[in-house]
Amino acid sequence: MALQTQQVHGGGTRFRHTPVGVMGNVLGWMLLCFAVLLVLTPVAFMFIASFMPARDILKLPFSWWPQTWYFENFWHAIQGNDGRFIFPRALLNSVFVAGTIAVTTVLLSTMAGYGLTKLRFRGAGIVFMFILSTLMIPFETVMIPLYVVVTNLGLQNSYAGLIVPFLLSAFGVFLMRQSLLSFPDELLDAARIDGASEPGIFFRVVLPNMWPVMAVLAILTFEAQWDNLIWPLLVVQSSELKTMPLYVVTFMEEKSTNEGAMVAVAAISSIPMLIIFFTLSQYFLRGANVFSAGKE
Amino acid sequence: MRNRPLTALSFALAMTFTIALAQVEVVYWTHEDPNRTALEQELIEQFQAENPGIVISRVTHPSNALAQLILTAFAANRGPDIFNMETFNEYPYIVNQRVAPVDPVAAGFGSYDAFYAAYLEGMIDPVTLDRLPYGIPLELTNWAIFLNMNVFRGAGLDPLTDYPKTWEEMLEIADRLTVRDGEIITRRGFDFRYPYYLNFMVPMAQQLGGQLIGDDGESAIVNDEAWLRVLAYFREWGPHGRNLGSPTYANARALFNFDNDDIGMMESGQYQVARIANDNPGFLPGEGWMVVPFPVWEDAVEDAAGAYYGHYWMVNAQSTADEQEAAWKFIGYMAQFAEDFFERAGLLQASQAVLDSDTFKNHPYSDIFMSDLARAPAIYYGDASPQIRQALQDAVEAVMLQNREPAEVLVTLRASVERALRGEY
Amino acid sequence: MARSAKRLTVGARKALWGWAFVVPALAFFGLFAFYPIINALVLSLHSKNVLSLRPPRFVGFQNYVDLWNSAQFWNSWKATGLFTVSTAVPLVLVSLLLATLIVSRLRLQRFFQMALYTPAVIPGVVAAAIWLMLLDPRGIANQWVNFVLGVSGIDRKWLASPDMVRLSTVLVYFWGKLGFFTIIFIAGLGGIPTSVKEAARVDGATGFQLYRYITLPLLKPTTLLVSIMAMIFCMRTFSTQYLFTQSGAPREPINVVTLGIYTTAIRDYQIGLASAMSIVLLVVMFVLAFLQFRASRTQDG
Repeated sequence: MALQTQQVHGGGTRFRHTPVGVMGNVLGWMLLCFAVLLVLTPVAFMFIASFMPARDILKLPFSWWPQTWYFENFWHAIQGNDGRFIFPRALLNSVFVAGTIAVTTVLLSTMAGYGLTKLRFRGAGIVFMFILSTLMIPFETVMIPLYVVVTNLGLQNSYAGLIVPFLLSAFGVFLMRQSLLSFPDELLDAARIDGASEPGIFFRVVLPNMWPVMAVLAILTFEAQWDNLIWPLLVVQSSELKTMPLYVVTFMEEKSTNEGAMVAVAAISSIPMLIIFFTLSQYFLRGANVFSAGKE
Repeated sequence: MRNRPLTALSFALAMTFTIALAQVEVVYWTHEDPNRTALEQELIEQFQAENPGIVISRVTHPSNALAQLILTAFAANRGPDIFNMETFNEYPYIVNQRVAPVDPVAAGFGSYDAFYAAYLEGMIDPVTLDRLPYGIPLELTNWAIFLNMNVFRGAGLDPLTDYPKTWEEMLEIADRLTVRDGEIITRRGFDFRYPYYLNFMVPMAQQLGGQLIGDDGESAIVNDEAWLRVLAYFREWGPHGRNLGSPTYANARALFNFDNDDIGMMESGQYQVARIANDNPGFLPGEGWMVVPFPVWEDAVEDAAGAYYGHYWMVNAQSTADEQEAAWKFIGYMAQFAEDFFERAGLLQASQAVLDSDTFKNHPYSDIFMSDLARAPAIYYGDASPQIRQALQDAVEAVMLQNREPAEVLVTLRASVERALRGEY
Repeated sequence: MARSAKRLTVGARKALWGWAFVVPALAFFGLFAFYPIINALVLSLHSKNVLSLRPPRFVGFQNYVDLWNSAQFWNSWKATGLFTVSTAVPLVLVSLLLATLIVSRLRLQRFFQMALYTPAVIPGVVAAAIWLMLLDPRGIANQWVNFVLGVSGIDRKWLASPDMVRLSTVLVYFWGKLGFFTIIFIAGLGGIPTSVKEAARVDGATGFQLYRYITLPLLKPTTLLVSIMAMIFCMRTFSTQYLFTQSGAPREPINVVTLGIYTTAIRDYQIGLASAMSIVLLVVMFVLAFLQFRASRTQDG
């Protein structure tokens, strides 16, 4: 039963009849369009304003069609206020760090989830509760002790320092464990009877079948790390290591920043994640099922 | 013979290794400032050429993040060897003995007396504890009023005679210069430099005879009448009064340089001159913009200008003796080029040498800044200055944005400052 | 169980592998989650100035007592509470509504899902920067509201008035998270077997009754998940309020608990007190999540 629902597409089951009649249907369309309009306006603003000179961006009244097409914003954004082109480097750093974390999180979370569900051992429940409880720890609580741990390991101001504290996430373990609950035991037992080793089973039977959920976790993790400001703020001490959010905040605070360059930086910073999202959205929308399916 | 390349290689390796061992690396963290960065990079190269055993690693951070970064680094006992911050942020490092006293010999001054004599009187006080200096000035700033002459002329005023000399005049002139669309301000006549209340709000109260901290060191916000007038003034300034500005509009200092007809006057220091030249070379002193002194109330009892504050170079007390010596040597070296700091970055290090130089005397409006500096109180520095600044901020936000009564806000303000002085949360 | 090391039972062998698979995670969480939290817990019983070289001074529960007596502390909880309720409740309701609407469309489902999710993909700092421009007195938030109401020149004081600035933080956060929860609900709705609905329809249930008595109850696990997640996210909010106050917005109305923790540690250097504040946050979140979980459990038939 559970497995069947997992295969339902993100499109979901469709109601034959909506709860209310035709009027309700029209109302529904209106509400949806209104919601989408509201939600997308700031995004549209960001992209359109990046083509405007600073003085037009906060002008009354705001004109949605740029009266002057001003491309220097992008050049200024990439160059930075000091002309050192740190921005492209920051974007690459973010891609590298977020990407690495996404990979390790998916792999290690799946391993942990697998061990907790399919390889039953005494204490598995307690271990799971332990890991789950860390979800509620706000980062600000552990910020300074964590910084001390990382500096004692000598990892400050390095890629390792940015990556290592996030190798795993409790959310990832939770997600994979929930999804693995409904993984058919028969497949595993069949592989065992065939004499495969546990690691072999994991890599050859489990992983290939969990691909959609893993993709979801990878995307969510990448997104969270792409966005991470407070940890790099503590750990990064040199310009070359800056990640994108850190660069954006610096850029915002510099006194010689104008709004045009600011929106250009904002627009460019959003593009990588938007591209990933649009190309992989099918996995994402499909895989969202695991949030609910796993609970049943 | 066959071994000669190998021997040469091992020799070279050994030499590099020995040199590397003998080298002292000094890590220097500072805040962003493109003009100063260029200058300091050059000085670093020169210094390293003259001192082959020392390597300087310079890192810049945004000024907002710098204080936090330095804090977390020191908390983990891994602070940089040299750093700088504003005086009110630096003071706790001195009190907690995390920074080392100045080494006058290594820095090239010879003795403490010579060191103090090299700077304008009183300029080293904010980093002096128990008669020992703990920092060398990187920049000392006091703020005067920068005025956009084009805006004045456009409104039919003559900037040379009609500039505000009192706070009462400031209110009227700013109102005249302010352009609005209904309630929304599109051009401000003047706006304060939020949230640096310790710089401008405290002197405003002092001009009326008020004090931030009483002489007993425990009571705060002395002289109700003075403080009430200041609070009432801010209330009048804000959206619930004459609607002349508020902390939620863009920072005046970020707008001024571009001469976009969106701000008439703002507060800033001498370094702004270099920044204007950088951002907008066509915007010239004496014809596009000018500087006027910090206003005083009509019935002021004390002539106090905007408070001065500074950045001082400080050295980590946990660095090794070699590192500390090298650090002071480098700082002393940079301090010799005070004229260049002033000319290229607009940063005044208030050393006698600079103040006597022609570069300084010929700098636009340096006479106004100096006369303001002469009547400027030092910014409040102490253990609790961040909390006190926050208390002032909360008070201004309460009268200005929440339209609360100055009398009730005064009570809260006093309680908060006294609590901060006692070290309570 | 095992007779000899060489011949473990299948169960024991599996258990050993189970541990092996879980050990990296345990080690990681031990070092990077538990050690810091224990550290914070211990530190909360001490008084320590971050800059001071003196060791922490044991003060027992004094920090907690000081917090109890501090008006600022209660104010920060009020700010967090207001924010959480104002954001989490609409998030859950509106995302459920939108999910229901989307699922009942015959076309464009994927378009709507993707459109609604887009804000979540914009980095938080960028979102704050853009919203600060929109909410500026000269920005389009004012222009739109004025346009809709047929007036001009009225400043809604999005970032100035205390109530409006609270609304603004709620708005930004809501905007960012709506799509995420909508998609979860869509998945949840999709997981409801059609057979159950068919059966109910055969029994004569109308659309509305169907929704209320079949769909919603079956959606309960998802709803529970969404509301717990929404609550936890909202209580942990930090960057929106931080970036707003850095840009001139008044601090007091939006001085949420996490911001208080941050300023107490970084600006006031009182890390013992800050740790106590964060332990309190942790406990409250635990209790609330537990209560929600229990409440939904007892309702299940």
